[in-house]
Amino acid sequence: MFRFDRRLLLNFDWVFLLTVVLIAIMGLTNLYSASHSGRMLGTPVYMKQLYFFLIGFGLVLAIVSVDYKVLLSWNYPLYTAACLLLLFSLLFGKSVANTQRWINFGFFYLQPSEPAKLALVITLASYYYRKDTGKGFSLRELTVPMLLTGIPFLLILKQPDLGTALMLLFIFVSMTLFVKLRWQTLAILTGTCLSAIPIGWKFFLKPYQRQRIETFMNPEGDPLNTGYHIMQSKIAVGSGMKFGKGFMHGTQGQLDFLPERHTDFAFSVWAEEWGFVGSLVLLGCYFFMILWGLNIAVSSRDKFGVLLAFGIVSLIFWQAFINLAMVMGLLPVVGMPLPLFSYGGSSLMTTMIGIGILMNIRMRRYMASS
Amino acid sequence: MSRFLTSIHKIDEAELNTLKRRVDIATAVAIFFIALLIVRLWYLQIHRGDDYSQLSENNRIRAQNLNAPRGNILDRQGRIIVTNRPCFNIVWVREDAPNPDEVLKKLSRILNEDISVILERIRSYADHPRYMPFRLKEDIDWRTLVYIENHRLDLPGIRIEVLPNRDYLHGDLASHLIGYLGEINENELKKLSDTNYDLGDQLGKMGIEKIYEKYLRGEKGRKYVEVDVHGLEQKQINTRKPLPGDDLQLTIDIDLQETAEKAMAGKAGAVVAMNVNTGELLALTSTPPMHLQEFIGGISTKAWNSMLNNPLHPLINKAIQGQYPPGSTYKIVTALAALNEEVVTPDTIIYCSGSYSFGNRKYGCWKKHGHGPVNLRRALKESCDVYFYQVGQKLGVDTLARYAQSMGLGKTTGIELENEKSGLTPTDAWKRQRYKEAWQEGETLSVSIGQGFNLTTPLQICRMTAATVNGGQLIRPQLLEAITDPDGKKILMFEPVSDGKILGTPEQLDLIRDALTAVVNEQHGTGRVAHLKNISVGGKTGTAQVIHLSTYKDVDEKDIPYKYRDHAWFTCFAPTENPEIAVTVLIEHGGHGGSAAGPVAKQILERYFAQKDAAENAKP
Repeated sequence: MFRFDRRLLLNFDWVFLLTVVLIAIMGLTNLYSASHSGRMLGTPVYMKQLYFFLIGFGLVLAIVSVDYKVLLSWNYPLYTAACLLLLFSLLFGKSVANTQRWINFGFFYLQPSEPAKLALVITLASYYYRKDTGKGFSLRELTVPMLLTGIPFLLILKQPDLGTALMLLFIFVSMTLFVKLRWQTLAILTGTCLSAIPIGWKFFLKPYQRQRIETFMNPEGDPLNTGYHIMQSKIAVGSGMKFGKGFMHGTQGQLDFLPERHTDFAFSVWAEEWGFVGSLVLLGCYFFMILWGLNIAVSSRDKFGVLLAFGIVSLIFWQAFINLAMVMGLLPVVGMPLPLFSYGGSSLMTTMIGIGILMNIRMRRYMASS
Repeated sequence: MSRFLTSIHKIDEAELNTLKRRVDIATAVAIFFIALLIVRLWYLQIHRGDDYSQLSENNRIRAQNLNAPRGNILDRQGRIIVTNRPCFNIVWVREDAPNPDEVLKKLSRILNEDISVILERIRSYADHPRYMPFRLKEDIDWRTLVYIENHRLDLPGIRIEVLPNRDYLHGDLASHLIGYLGEINENELKKLSDTNYDLGDQLGKMGIEKIYEKYLRGEKGRKYVEVDVHGLEQKQINTRKPLPGDDLQLTIDIDLQETAEKAMAGKAGAVVAMNVNTGELLALTSTPPMHLQEFIGGISTKAWNSMLNNPLHPLINKAIQGQYPPGSTYKIVTALAALNEEVVTPDTIIYCSGSYSFGNRKYGCWKKHGHGPVNLRRALKESCDVYFYQVGQKLGVDTLARYAQSMGLGKTTGIELENEKSGLTPTDAWKRQRYKEAWQEGETLSVSIGQGFNLTTPLQICRMTAATVNGGQLIRPQLLEAITDPDGKKILMFEPVSDGKILGTPEQLDLIRDALTAVVNEQHGTGRVAHLKNISVGGKTGTAQVIHLSTYKDVDEKDIPYKYRDHAWFTCFAPTENPEIAVTVLIEHGGHGGSAAGPVAKQILERYFAQKDAAENAKP
């Protein structure tokens, strides 16, 4: 298992790692500014985030040393563990803002919905790998993956954390479409989903979630309450203009006008202080990372690698897109961190593990036929 | 393990290639979404960047106007008539209240006011920017203020604003002169657009407050503070201190003004007291007064309507806006004209039988049984109508008008106050233009005793009296003694202005002054009620008919309906040897001039000379 090939080292993906480090540096810089004026106690958040990054890079190194294919046999245990953590957090978790999202590990509050996303990607990749996908899936063949997605989905929805729950759906849809669906299946599924929307709206969404969506449709209608976050975030981003207000000089962030400015709305702070140019640089990094990740998928020599890489890239991509679109007022406010950029150990660790797996796949692209 | 690994190396090349082709589609999707984000970024930061920049500025920097304390209004001795006191208003900043309903509910409980009243107020500011504060309640009491200050943290969005408000130390004293403040309206705001007024500012709407607005108001200060999301001040960035307004010293003397207003209590009318040589107005009052207190923080419609509909017209400054026939006070004009036009000499005797027949009408003297033979002096002293009918007839209306105008009648006096009325001095030409009719000689008879078309204001009569006894100078009445800036520097000082000399020689004026002295001091004089012990007073009574109907001719005064009763005039000056002060009193529907208006004038003169004595005794 620990056969170490020298070719591995030669194939180590420095470019990808460098991109991640670049985003990490920007993220930490931004956190420094965002948490500067805050009245938080204890270790400053940018320091904590730095520790998480260092641990994350350690994880990346550990992960690349083991062939990713072992995940084929670990997928169900991982999946089961993730679901149990979700269940545990629901029953005994620490409540923050009326949601049961956290498990206390003493030194660290784990948000089990984060690893659950990755566990789902791995499980779906393994499942689809084992199926012959040539002719496309029928509805019956989709029962298992739907079930696999549905369990964590419902558990997360119950917390309630609509953003993350939807993320699981996005992963499921992306990966399933990727392995090909039958047209009929696609049509039936689309039809079912569309008709489920009104029912879901009425029976499954909490009032605050409904209000968020309503607010998003008409933010000026209620600028004091729920529309406030969107408005303030748009003001922060917009007022950055071409070159930004300068590091630590973003008034929206520094004066507390931005909500959640070191977590979900971290990008608003960045856009305000670094402007269009700075935002383009950051966006460029993500863009490059996504393309590079997709290239990793293409370069893989086996189907599991392709599926796994694609799954992880889509996980990062959708999170990034939804977060950025939300911050810029294109989507309603849902809890969704910007991977690598927002503060948060669980999200960062999960992303770093995903990156480790991607690099792992990259390193072993020539080794399939060995 | 190794068997397991080989099993996964079994690769279906075709399937793998299909998957890889789909990666291209995924790439295209990713590019599309990222492009979407970039376009959005461009829209927010470049296309609308300026707007959002503005919004963020407003978010952060609150500019607060610091209102300048308005200048004080003082009397001629430097005693304060109007000053300022702090007034606490409740101000609402929508932006700072994340939970407006809750806060407003609390506020309605604190103020003990129905929430709908508060909401109505908020609705009227609906198009106000969200960060702009506006007033919810003005002039709250001390207890409410303390309560709100103590519960500040529970009331986000609520702030207390401190404004200097007018404090009228002497109540309604000189209310028409001082005038009142009101909230600036859209029109004024537009007109004053270059002078730094904002919505919600107070400005003078009437009287001294309005005319000297630019001196009184001072210069607003501005405080720039950085606030956080809760509207709490983070730090003060920059402050420009407000510059207090200039102090305004009036020519008015509080004591005389007060005496006049007390003497007039319960009556409708006007009193003017003026320095005959300089034109300084020592007292100028119109009764009933306006209630200045009601205007603070905006007058209620009810209070306004009650003043507007009051039959005694408290909103009109009768001293300058009330136009009354001058009655017998006009005989001064007729007498002067007669002497100067040599229609009579001082010794010319005219017989008064109690009436004078002209055309087919009988023009009666007020004394039904007649004065007998009268000369000019006696005619003035006893106010013989028949004498002046005949003199006036000889002079003609146009000559009378010339003299009246030279003495300041029929035109505004030029006092600083607004909306002064000019009165009316009828002429032949005027009547032709106004009524398309020729002048009737009989009308000249009415004019020559101050009735008919003649209209004058109390201020005009006072000025005429002054001109008669000050050597013939038509002096301009003025209210402003000095303007002092906050550093104590006098930036404007009173200066007497003469609007020319009246017609007539000094000898003729002396003759008239002598006759007027007799009015008060001699037997049969009509103004004997104004007689003072130590000071010689001269004056002229007047009774102005309100209607020409003879219906009430022989009816006792008390039985005539109020609005048909005669107006009572008394105009006087003192001391007669070297006149200093002229006092004119008009009482609407007061009846006979001497008995109704005389005592009021007397009280003012007494007060004036008592004050003068006190000042002289105080000197070593």
